[in-house]
Amino acid sequence: MALNKEVYKEFEDVVGEENICNDPAIMPAYFSTEFAAVILPGNTAEVQAIVKLCNKHKMQFRPICTGWTGMFPPGIILLDLRRMNRIIEINEKNMYAVVEPYVISSQLQAELMKRGLNFCIKGAGTNCTAMLRGHGHMDQTTSGDDRNHLAIEWITPEGDIVRSGSLGSSDEWFCGDGPGPSLRSILTSAVPPGVTPGVFTKAAVKLYHWSGPSAYPVEGISPHYSLSEIPPNMMARYFSFPSVEKMWQAELKIGESEICFELMGFNISMVAANITTSNEEEEETFNRLNKEVQGPGFFVIVVGDTPADFEYKQRVLEKIVSENDGKSLKAVEDPRIEGILMCQCTRISASIRETFRNGGAFNSIPIMGQRDLTIKWAIGAGKAKEPLIEKGYIVDDGGAFFGWGVEQGHLGKTEIFCKFDPGNPEAKAAVEGWQKEQNRRAFTERYFASTMGPQDEIGPALLNYHLWWQKITEALDPNGVSPSGGSLV
Amino acid sequence: MALEDYRGDMEMCCRCSTCKFIPMQKVKGAQYVNVCPSIAKYNFHAYSAGGRLNIAAAMLKDGFKYTDKLLDIVYNCQLCGACGVSCNYAMDMEVLQPISEFRLRCVEDGKTNPALDKVIAGLQKQGTMVPGAKGKRGDWATGLKLKDATKEKVDVLYHVGCLTSYDKNMQKLAKATVKILQKAGVNFGIAGNAETCCGGRAYQMGYKEDFLNQAKKNMDMIKKAGIKTLVTGCADGYQAFKVLYDKYNLKGDLEVLHISEYIDKLIKDGKLKLNKKVNLNVTYHDPCRLGRLGEPWIHWEGKKVPGDRFVFDPPKEYRRGTKGVYEPPRDVLKSIPGVKLTEMTRIKEYAWCCGAGGGVNESNPGFARWTARERIEEAGSTGAEAIVTACPWCEKNFSETIKENGSNLKVYDIVELVEKAI
Amino acid sequence: MIGKEKLVKIVGAGNVSYEQKTLDEYSKDISFVNAVRPVCVVKPKNASDVRKIVNLANKTQTPLVPVSSGPPHFRGDTVPGIGGAVIVDLSKMKKIINVDRARRVAMVEPGVTFGELIPAAEKEGIRLNMPLLPRKSKTVIGSILEREPVIMPKYQWDISDPLSCVEVIFGSGDEFRTGQAAGPGTVKEQWAVGGVQKAPYGPGVASWHRLIQGAQGTMGIVTWASMRCEILPSLEEPFVVGSSNLDTLLEMISWLIRLRMVNECFILNNTNLAAIFTKKWPRGYQNLKDSLPAWTLFYTVAGYEYLPEERISSHIKGITEITQRLGVEAVKAAGGVSANEILKAVQQPSGEPYWKLRYKGACEDIFFLTINDKLEGQIGVMNELAEKADYSASEMGVYIQPIVQGTGCHCEFNLFYDPGNPSELNRVRGLSNSAVKSLMAKDAFFSRPYGENANMILNRDAATVAVLDKLKKMFDPNSIMNPGKVCF
Repeated sequence: MALNKEVYKEFEDVVGEENICNDPAIMPAYFSTEFAAVILPGNTAEVQAIVKLCNKHKMQFRPICTGWTGMFPPGIILLDLRRMNRIIEINEKNMYAVVEPYVISSQLQAELMKRGLNFCIKGAGTNCTAMLRGHGHMDQTTSGDDRNHLAIEWITPEGDIVRSGSLGSSDEWFCGDGPGPSLRSILTSAVPPGVTPGVFTKAAVKLYHWSGPSAYPVEGISPHYSLSEIPPNMMARYFSFPSVEKMWQAELKIGESEICFELMGFNISMVAANITTSNEEEEETFNRLNKEVQGPGFFVIVVGDTPADFEYKQRVLEKIVSENDGKSLKAVEDPRIEGILMCQCTRISASIRETFRNGGAFNSIPIMGQRDLTIKWAIGAGKAKEPLIEKGYIVDDGGAFFGWGVEQGHLGKTEIFCKFDPGNPEAKAAVEGWQKEQNRRAFTERYFASTMGPQDEIGPALLNYHLWWQKITEALDPNGVSPSGGSLV
Repeated sequence: MALEDYRGDMEMCCRCSTCKFIPMQKVKGAQYVNVCPSIAKYNFHAYSAGGRLNIAAAMLKDGFKYTDKLLDIVYNCQLCGACGVSCNYAMDMEVLQPISEFRLRCVEDGKTNPALDKVIAGLQKQGTMVPGAKGKRGDWATGLKLKDATKEKVDVLYHVGCLTSYDKNMQKLAKATVKILQKAGVNFGIAGNAETCCGGRAYQMGYKEDFLNQAKKNMDMIKKAGIKTLVTGCADGYQAFKVLYDKYNLKGDLEVLHISEYIDKLIKDGKLKLNKKVNLNVTYHDPCRLGRLGEPWIHWEGKKVPGDRFVFDPPKEYRRGTKGVYEPPRDVLKSIPGVKLTEMTRIKEYAWCCGAGGGVNESNPGFARWTARERIEEAGSTGAEAIVTACPWCEKNFSETIKENGSNLKVYDIVELVEKAI
Repeated sequence: MIGKEKLVKIVGAGNVSYEQKTLDEYSKDISFVNAVRPVCVVKPKNASDVRKIVNLANKTQTPLVPVSSGPPHFRGDTVPGIGGAVIVDLSKMKKIINVDRARRVAMVEPGVTFGELIPAAEKEGIRLNMPLLPRKSKTVIGSILEREPVIMPKYQWDISDPLSCVEVIFGSGDEFRTGQAAGPGTVKEQWAVGGVQKAPYGPGVASWHRLIQGAQGTMGIVTWASMRCEILPSLEEPFVVGSSNLDTLLEMISWLIRLRMVNECFILNNTNLAAIFTKKWPRGYQNLKDSLPAWTLFYTVAGYEYLPEERISSHIKGITEITQRLGVEAVKAAGGVSANEILKAVQQPSGEPYWKLRYKGACEDIFFLTINDKLEGQIGVMNELAEKADYSASEMGVYIQPIVQGTGCHCEFNLFYDPGNPSELNRVRGLSNSAVKSLMAKDAFFSRPYGENANMILNRDAATVAVLDKLKKMFDPNSIMNPGKVCF
């Protein structure tokens, strides 16, 4: 829907002419969608005014943060929140930070590390917003998903400002729940797609202690970065195990013993991706490392709060690994590689080399929840990848899956993906078929339900949650101006 | 290679926004995280490298639909190449090349920027990128009794460059260079009035034919004079002679050195001694075309290997900014007694551009100054008294911005400090 | 109104009571809410009974008041807000459905008390993250749904912890299971493939359990809940640190939690510590209290399966650095109370009589969430108000519990009083009311608004209430679930 001049002018009055654009030239940059206009609000008041105007004119809108992914209906107003990029507060004593949507994780993390703190970095990478939901490398000790949210400032689809939890009552950010039932119930959960209608304009996230360096001593010129030294009381290793069961047992015990800062169930293909600087080098490295590993494995980072703590953690790790016949990958024992991985996994979250470099696309099935259960399913999903590898449709990663324990193994995440060339229609179809079939199997065999699948099939089997959600969104958004489908990465 | 040849690269863009920021592991805090001036100033994703690639890919697919906004996007980019460095940490794809090709395409299609047209008209008429230049190119050397490299045998041709030759405020750089080379006993000469523009800035602006014209003129002169080594004090000139001429197979065996590299060599060979104390706290600004874009050209031709990976036969080696000129100017600064070098957050391959490149200085001076202002603030944050650069275009932009906005920061070219130390 | 015969048909005659004495018991509690007598008390045996009762209530517009714990009640949330209500007493639903060591999770029906679950979990090698000394009759689900603070903040990653999943009959009569329990498949089908009901989020983009928590039964009735458990340590070493300077202890406790070195940890003032540990009432109380420092920080260091001694010793080393920096000392006893005694006590529910009732027979709790920086000021305000109300501040119990791994703390003032003394009762009632008002002005966040002061609290956040109202209309369209509570 094109904006008529008068309406355009109303939006322009809110943000100024330099911050609104409906020229067709810019649209391919934004998800190849023909938006009615792209607007760059600069603060909460502007967002509110825009949302009110959208209601007045029955125009649909969606917000984006860095906007890596997302599906957007054409003709809507896109709120690109790029100008809202302030760190509002870092409260060291009470371990939370308040940020606007376009503060990227890397910025916040760098500020936190200076203060001996850290926070959950999304697997998507530190190039994404620090503000909302995500899970990634450091979930073992920094939790993940909606569980790190504290108070949130939210512009409802009707344009009201809701300040959840302690923020609404006492102007403090430390708590997002109450008075009474928690609005966090509807302000995002663990899984995409879609987010709560409206716009989140500020949010507080939980922080965690960090005993690592205030900044990594990175040296070299891109892409050949390395650490000049391994920071004191820190260590990174990759262990492979003779079986999935042994790997899982070791992972479980590590979680229970609370000894690892990070436990990332990388497969060896992902290790190869992260320690190499080109596709060719990656392939060669994968083939080499794949011969060295004895089976599935994981990558760990140990951080000691004190030398005594570090020593204790190392000793327990050694014991657990040895009890489960784990074997340390020699390549990662090389301080040059150890340092890169340590730094990448905590500071970048490493995702792009693993996912997009090979062919420019990947299709994935991510599952949050009970790690041992999802591993069980993923073994089958991995086997089902093998024919696609044989046919050359997808990158050979040994049919592997990956995942990690969350909150010292209380929860977990398992994911499996296929990397392919999206320009190859046969490969694309094969991958989509694999994805559909593995989701179906998970569903019929009662492992989990991917809520990214068709809602009409899944919803009824999950107590019609989709209808409840629909009711909620209708109540919050009576004018239907805030369609779902975005993803705030 | 034409824009069409980068279709696959452009389609590899996954819209991760990495091109907007310095490499993530180098982010030191909330500040100085941006690496691309264009998206930092204009904010719409279209102004980022990712946005530009997506637009170009869409136009290849659906046809070129020029609008004023599109041209605004195209010309408000310094082509500084920082986007590519950040992207290429993780990705195997060309970033700056297609962006540059897109601009060449615009010019080819007659979709030029009037301010740049004017500059190019000046180039065509006077052989310089300094519009309205008065006098002759070699006037600055009057009375210095320098060798004419077109007539006398010299070991080194000092290519002075447009700005240093014609701008009265910049001629001091040429004089300083001469003093340094003389002190080191180098057998060098200049081309004087026979020198002409390297064409590099014309290329950045999108005027490929004018660039090629200049390149041919220069190389004809150089070949005729039997020059083996060329030293330039201008980063644009350096990149033109060393990288662009090579890209178009015009460079031949010519050795191209930036003055900072040459001085570094002279010091290390014991030919130049820096004895005088220069008590100054400085920070160093890497000019884009000496740093990341000064990386040698890699000749490659090949085809994508069919299959799941974006790989080629023969394998393609990407220019990721790794081999730019980063250390020699720093080593020179460190050799000057009394100079204390403190680095900024954004340095070397991920340095923030001064703002003057890509024709922006001429087409949108406000944006050029805005970009410089950000750098001046960053330099000031290090506690340095002076920002040192190695390109007259950077120095000019910094100086003018400081004049406009006020700052106690002094601006020097590296040769000015070396001159003080000899 | 629901006919008696219909209720009898659902739960059996023995589980429906219209007896005046019984009704009187449910018509009031220790809080200051108005007494409202229910019509009857019904005790469902299972989820199906609950569903039928809710459906009947919808048809007849009958208010339902869910109750799981036994008396004495303290918050007014189980006293009917309006007349004509049916009490749904869940105390007969007492099954411990599952305890799973490997997945660190337990699942129980609403009538299960702490005293019942603790040994069952221990048998498997796990334990709950407990609230501080709940009364013996308190149910696990009641406590968790109320978002009561827990004494091991290190293991409270999210304020909803330790809640995992629930099965709930919404006020609308619809059954729902939250989190992983939603499906696919029934709970039993999930077990069959190795699944447990652990992950709290979803299904979809909502975290439905958060809507039920803190709702005081206004959204629906929970028929089971699962909760995350922690591993039983193989070795534990408790300590106390006494000080007259609360700030020092707050600084210390925030580092202990930040570095995740301690399990149980909290701060009590001497009044509360004496109220809990006095053995010989009434004489022993004052003696014990006099022997205690003004504030006592309690914490435990623990070891698990691997090298427990080393773990404890490395933590003690780390903690010693903190105590030395702060100029305090970690010891094994404060006054007449030993750290071991505290540890043993707080791993169980309170002995009888409930510790809050021992001193004077009744207790009014004023509790809120806050951040460390504001706590001293808030305590100061409370002390002033108490003195003004002629209630000796030194008689007031104070309990400070860091929450959610250090992102805030629960502060609780316990006003002990003699319920038989009308003037004392009125003083405390007045104090409670004025305290909430004044503490809110000092940024205290009353996240769990109960009883008389709930409206005052909720009025401060009209925007949140507006959204909650919309949700309430969906899940309880006829407003049968505990009307008059929270903001509904």
